[in-house]
Amino acid sequence: MSVSTAPETDRDQSTHELSSPDIPWELIIWNDPVNLMSYVSYVFQSYFGYSEAKAAELMMQVHTEGKSAVAHGAKEKMEAHAVAMHGFGLWATVQKGGGRG
Amino acid sequence: MAKAFNPGRRGITGFLEPAERDLLRKLFDDIITILEPSRPAHEDPLAALIGLDMDVAVPTDPALLRLLPDAVMGDADASLEFRQLTERSLRESKIGALRAATLDLDKDKLVLDAEAAGLWSRALNDVRLVLAQRLEIRDEGDAERVHQVQDWGEADDVESYLSLVYNFVSWLQESLVQAMLAGLKSSR
Repeated sequence: MSVSTAPETDRDQSTHELSSPDIPWELIIWNDPVNLMSYVSYVFQSYFGYSEAKAAELMMQVHTEGKSAVAHGAKEKMEAHAVAMHGFGLWATVQKGGGRG
Repeated sequence: MAKAFNPGRRGITGFLEPAERDLLRKLFDDIITILEPSRPAHEDPLAALIGLDMDVAVPTDPALLRLLPDAVMGDADASLEFRQLTERSLRESKIGALRAATLDLDKDKLVLDAEAAGLWSRALNDVRLVLAQRLEIRDEGDAERVHQVQDWGEADDVESYLSLVYNFVSWLQESLVQAMLAGLKSSR
């Protein structure tokens, strides 16, 4: 998976401590047998602005692997995405980034 | 019989029989009832204004939990804190979509602009999530079992009736989303 929406860290600030907002978080979308594949694809295109091909790829990953990390970035941003996804009825959780989902 | 939603220049048009409108009205109303908070907004006006709700708890009804899921996997405390900050406004936005769709049902012609179509797709999706909990759809096999029920002549118990309703709402949402995807494609 090549998802790289995590912001570039500022390397000039060498004294800058790694505080929690700088740790990349990720937004996980979980598979469920109810949400239509077309609807999930629509949400990925319309909300995240992903291309039809990328939305389809992420949607298929959710469907076949059970989950997919569909966005990466600051914790607050991922939390805002999670609320939006719950608004759409998708099952989303946030977690500290590590292995790519 | 309802007709599939169709993308057009003035918006997405749909056609529903009076009985189908009544059914959807009832379903939207049921989900609104499930979503309405049991307690009024917080007495502290500032807390109410920003939607903060310190008394919130994890829903015990699995259907409501599916509408308002935990946001932090494996961390109940963080999930509860997230709920306190976001759950009330999430309930309100879902109720808003369901109410908007209900109002559209009163119009003679169902013509949805992009915003209305978005609200409709959310409303139909929330109906399906709740029906799926009642029908115990937990995996693809369960979904297939429900999908097999297609004959209204078979609707002789609650489960088969709910299955038929679920399949109708699924068909309606699929046709709406296809029309919305066609709209996205033509706007690129």
